[in-house]
Amino acid sequence: MLLELKDIHVHYGKIAAIKGISLQVEDGEIVSLIGANGAGKTTTLKTISGLRPLTSGQVLFNGQDISKMPGHKRVVAGIGQSPEGRGVFPGMTVQENLLMGAFTRKDALDADLAEVYELFPRLAERKSQFGGTMSGGEQQMIAIGRALMTKPKVLLLDEPSMGLAPMLIAQIFEIIKEINKRGTTVLLVEQNAQQALKLSHRAYVLETGRVVKSAPGPELLDDPQVRAAYLGGH
Amino acid sequence: MKGNGVTGNANPLRRVGALFDGARDWWERAKTWQRFVVYIGALVFALILPAPWIGTFMSPGADWTTVLIYPIGTYMLLAIGLNVVVGQAGLLDLGFVAFFAIGGYTLAYFATEHGWSYWPTVVFGIFLAAVSGVILGAPTLRLRGDYLAIVTLGFGEIIRITANNTDEIGGARGIPNIPHPTDMPAIGLDFGVLPAPYYYLMVAAIVVVIVFSVRLQKSRVGRAWAAIREDEDAAELMGVPTFKFKLLAFAIGAMIGGLAGGIYAGKAVFIEPGTFPFILSATILAAVVLGGAGNLPGVMLGAFVIAWLPERFREVEWLKEALGKDPAEYRILLFGGVLVLMMALRPEGLLPSRRRKAELHEGTGGMGAMGAEVAGPDTDVSTEAAK
Ligand SMILES: Nc1ncnc2c1ncn2[C@@H]1O[C@H](COP(=O)(O)OP(=O)(O)O)[C@@H](O)[C@H]1O
Ligand SMILES: [Mg+2]
Repeated sequence: MLLELKDIHVHYGKIAAIKGISLQVEDGEIVSLIGANGAGKTTTLKTISGLRPLTSGQVLFNGQDISKMPGHKRVVAGIGQSPEGRGVFPGMTVQENLLMGAFTRKDALDADLAEVYELFPRLAERKSQFGGTMSGGEQQMIAIGRALMTKPKVLLLDEPSMGLAPMLIAQIFEIIKEINKRGTTVLLVEQNAQQALKLSHRAYVLETGRVVKSAPGPELLDDPQVRAAYLGGH
Repeated sequence: MKGNGVTGNANPLRRVGALFDGARDWWERAKTWQRFVVYIGALVFALILPAPWIGTFMSPGADWTTVLIYPIGTYMLLAIGLNVVVGQAGLLDLGFVAFFAIGGYTLAYFATEHGWSYWPTVVFGIFLAAVSGVILGAPTLRLRGDYLAIVTLGFGEIIRITANNTDEIGGARGIPNIPHPTDMPAIGLDFGVLPAPYYYLMVAAIVVVIVFSVRLQKSRVGRAWAAIREDEDAAELMGVPTFKFKLLAFAIGAMIGGLAGGIYAGKAVFIEPGTFPFILSATILAAVVLGGAGNLPGVMLGAFVIAWLPERFREVEWLKEALGKDPAEYRILLFGGVLVLMMALRPEGLLPSRRRKAELHEGTGGMGAMGAEVAGPDTDVSTEAAK
């Protein structure tokens, strides 16, 4: 087991955002969290990466309890995240953004940088453009590439398809698949349930801070309840 | 030219702005030897600046060298210090005057009451300022934006009021007879009543602080600060220990403030709580923002303008006649008007860095809500930066 949440509760002030979520991510998987707006997907990812403190419960990574570990140390431990809204550094160039991902690393970066540019040729063309002036899709590529530069064991992606044109969405999902194929475990948060479920080994459905269903991705695609609620259809 | 009028190019301030931007872009591409020529030129300029023929225009009514030390030089030093906090790390500090006060009071108290000599006491003042920066920062740097601004504002007031109510450090009467800096016969500096040696000391301090600040900015620490300023959560996700680096920015800014306090007190001979009012924190912040937070030449220019303009306004004859009394009484108003005008026409500051422009363009230029509320005025900046 690479990553495990054990009955976590998270609050914003007095408001409970997460009311007892447990989930597991195995080494090498793509696992999706789907659910409506406000279900607690972003909060779950932030709790895993250490941006939000736990009220109770446990976060285990590689079998070790990291519930109290500060966020910047979890990066070193192997948790990389592309945050909701991308969080690109607007005043840094594309290359500088990617190098920020290697902030804590002391080993050689050339091969990893080359790999990111190979995955996202668009970024290679724009190395010295400011992050803040890139388009939404390009910023998403920066955010993912930057997270890859931290050399994560598990990559947390928060709505990578948000606000992108359909063509780009398909492309981003292809790349996620490729990243996974090259050995990085992926925990994916999506509102775009259809595409997320198609490429996920397993998925969890979140509703108001709780897991209401979990099953292999393709199975959920055929689940009538899930279809009605998240796939806009029949 | 006429066609450009609509886009605002006819506006003289815009044109000056374009000139500044051109200079900055040249500087960013300049070769090492070109930069050295500029450094040496700037130093020579600083050394001949007190010359009387410059002074007759710059400061007809008051001794120019004295004005150069205070307010101009002192504001510059303070602005460089505050720039570390506001411009580099993106933390809004409204109580920066506290560190200036701590540096000043440390020298005043230990030198007069305990007979400590000048330089060790200044160093001790810098140390105490850093410690108080950490003490202030440790509980408050977990807060963000507006909250941090309010707490730091409170801190500045607490320091001043404490000084006012502590008889051991002179209370409201302040501390007189603060010793001058130790003479340096080796380089011919005798610190007496003449202002010139203090001016050279101020220039030396500013140079040291600039070198220190630039080195920091280019280091790993500077990169961490930039990341925190631009997106704190994302910085943490890159493995930046954000809290530690924010604390470091506070401590380093405080040290520079403390140094300024020591130098100021050694020249002024007398300090009192009223020397360190809140308005000074606000003024230095205005200098940093006006000049272009994060860009040292901009910040220094901002400090110069803010320190010099009100002094100069007092001497303008037609203003005197128009107002019917000493314009100095209106100078804060005038100076406020100039500030509002500048911020309306060039909100990113007189001389912002390209990076800063890109940040503001996106709308989250650090500094809590302040940065977020400043909209990017010229949209063409982004396309320019794209090349
Ligand atoms: N900063 C915040 N302050 C207060 N409540 C928040 C904050 N962020 C999220 N919430 C609340 O927590 C719940 C979960 O939000 P979130 O994790 O963002 O959901 P999702 O990502 O699934 O849309 C929502 O009810 C939301 O209103
Ligand atoms: Mg979300």
